[in-house]
Amino acid sequence: MTAVLNPTAQALSKSTPKPVLKAAVIGTGVISKQHLSFLQTCDRAALVGVCDLSPAAVDYAVKTFQSGKGYTDYTQMLAHEKPDIVHILTPPQTHLPIATDCLRAGAHVICEKPIAPTYKEFKDLWQISRECDRYLIEDHNYRFNGPVRSLQALIEDGTLGEVQEVEIRMALDLRSGGRYADENLPSPIHKMPAGVIHDFITHLSYLLLSLMPHTDHPEGFDRVSAAWSNHGGGDLFKYDDLDALVISGQAHGRIRFSSYTAPDCFAITVRGSRGYAETDLFQPYLRCVVPRSVGKQLSPLVNHFYSGWELMSASVRNFRSKIMQRNAYDGLHYLLGETYAALSEGKAPLIGFEDMARTSRLVEALLAQENRL
Amino acid sequence: MNRDVNMMNPTAGVAANIQVGPKKVFITGAAGFVGQYVVAAVLRAGHEVLANIRAKTDVERISWHDHPNVTFVRQDLRQRRGLVDAVAPADAVIHLAAVKSGDFYDQFAGTVIATENLLWAMRSAGIKQLVAISTFSVYDFLNMKPKRLLDENSPIESSPQNRDEYAQTKLIQEQLYRAFAADASEVAEGAKPIQNAVTILRPGMIYGRDNLWHALIGAEVGGNRMLKIGGKATLPMTYVENCAEAIALALNAPQAVGQTINLVDDNLPTQKAYLAQLLAYTPEPPKLIPVSWFVMRSVANLAWWYNQTFLSGQAKLPGILVPAKLQGRFKPLKYNNNQAKALLNWAPQYSLETAFRRSCSALDLVAVPLPDSPEIPEGIPIQVGC
Repeated sequence: MTAVLNPTAQALSKSTPKPVLKAAVIGTGVISKQHLSFLQTCDRAALVGVCDLSPAAVDYAVKTFQSGKGYTDYTQMLAHEKPDIVHILTPPQTHLPIATDCLRAGAHVICEKPIAPTYKEFKDLWQISRECDRYLIEDHNYRFNGPVRSLQALIEDGTLGEVQEVEIRMALDLRSGGRYADENLPSPIHKMPAGVIHDFITHLSYLLLSLMPHTDHPEGFDRVSAAWSNHGGGDLFKYDDLDALVISGQAHGRIRFSSYTAPDCFAITVRGSRGYAETDLFQPYLRCVVPRSVGKQLSPLVNHFYSGWELMSASVRNFRSKIMQRNAYDGLHYLLGETYAALSEGKAPLIGFEDMARTSRLVEALLAQENRL
Repeated sequence: MNRDVNMMNPTAGVAANIQVGPKKVFITGAAGFVGQYVVAAVLRAGHEVLANIRAKTDVERISWHDHPNVTFVRQDLRQRRGLVDAVAPADAVIHLAAVKSGDFYDQFAGTVIATENLLWAMRSAGIKQLVAISTFSVYDFLNMKPKRLLDENSPIESSPQNRDEYAQTKLIQEQLYRAFAADASEVAEGAKPIQNAVTILRPGMIYGRDNLWHALIGAEVGGNRMLKIGGKATLPMTYVENCAEAIALALNAPQAVGQTINLVDDNLPTQKAYLAQLLAYTPEPPKLIPVSWFVMRSVANLAWWYNQTFLSGQAKLPGILVPAKLQGRFKPLKYNNNQAKALLNWAPQYSLETAFRRSCSALDLVAVPLPDSPEIPEGIPIQVGC
């Protein structure tokens, strides 16, 4: 599969020898700020169009991100702009029809998570992408945040030994306000199979799978058990809590989502046969506790010193990040940068079929009645 | 910069008339802080009200909820479904609803998209009269000279990206109002096209019960402490009952159509005078830390220069360290309400002292007499207070 470059798009990159892909965005909600700001600065992308149902939202995006032409009908945008890549940032229930139209119009698709409400719909969409000879890419952004890449390096170079346990823990106070708690106009995410947790379950699942050892099991994991709860009750939330166990070979994985523990966090812990490492993507640091060269007696002391130093350094880095408006989306910018680089050179993108399929299968397994506690 | 703020309808050959008399009025944000008072004022003026509220709003706390001239319309303006039918019975619309909290996208949805949908529904239903509520926040405070007059002809903000989310979304909202005002449709073959009749009202800070401590006094710094910034600046404010009356008057003010009108009260107090009243009515006030306007302005200018020079303008600083935001709240300027008095025939009824007394009394300030009943000038006593 190779990226087809439009001659007009190539002409836009006179100042650089790198091929430039024509990009378009559908949906101007909260996450669009990240995608549009990436496209504004990426030298391999020319943002040719933005589409939303709201003309005012389109107008704002066009002015703020110098994003070519605005549309309120994406089929018109596809016909007029003929983009090479389309970013689909609309609610999940709309992904299948929109992505299908984009693929059939000859565009690669980068789609926000979850790419489809069910594994079957994902497979249908994948089949269409194969028929159209276009790439389909689900946003697995947190895999590429700096601390997660560091964790993966610690696993790959054997620092942690054989991975035995992985815990992905997200705590978000969704109940006490904000768009998820809005009863006047409920978010469309509440209608997804996992309710509001469906907005996060993709992240939790691909992170767990990417850090656990690979298995030969066709599903990508051996056993799953999940407790879905609605502790807060009421009709708006289907679930506000998830505690799930995923076993793959000897390794145990835990996915935990809580609306009630404080403070908000996105914590990841990997425990291996030699030691463990942990981080929090909302307040990034990397703590690594492993045997040190000073011997068994002094290793705990040295680990404490390293941990203390890392936490102090992280406090300065995170303060600077807060002031400079750098947030937990650095992985998204990395993923998009690598994706554009790959596609513009005719290579396969970072996120492939198996990454998305395993994630989608795990989500489905977590929701399956037979796996529920 | 837009200085021609009062020339909304320059198109020749169109009419923008409104009928004077009792109307059926669709009021958005009807259960909000200002909306409750506006509904009361509109009812007292003899109109019928279609009170637009959200699905989960509890209305029984409001004394006019069972008034025979009120019909509740539960409709979220962020979605179009059902909106045309909801608006269709109205003769005119007063648009108050806006979102002041949450991130930019929350405020964009609650203010801009809500307005876009409302105007779409009005166009679809053929409703031509709109009393649109804007804000003083749209003015370009940073580039105004201190102690000069800010009126309707003052420039509006030309660099919204330096202002807060509220100012940014209200600026976009005003653009939508102006586009709606420029619409003209032919109602009959050969007849003169009828232009939409839009009056834009820009209230200053609206104060009243539950909103006496506001952003023009100072900046909260946590731990029940507040930076009191400056002291001599005149506060562009309007008491909520005065403001509500002006909004109601706009419904039957043909001379106000096509105009932008500032709403501020008479005899505006300085920060110091307002604070003196406020402290007299507040049993446990926050600890006030005084900072002079000169010092605060200098600190903000220094922070801005450092951010632009060394951080490429990327740093997100607290609002009081951003000159455009700081000056929007504390800059000493002069104000008048000549336009409002002339075009709306408005005379603010309540002075600052009376406004405080009423706000901190046990009176139901939104009480409305039943039709054919005697007026209730002082409201109904209820258990409230400061």
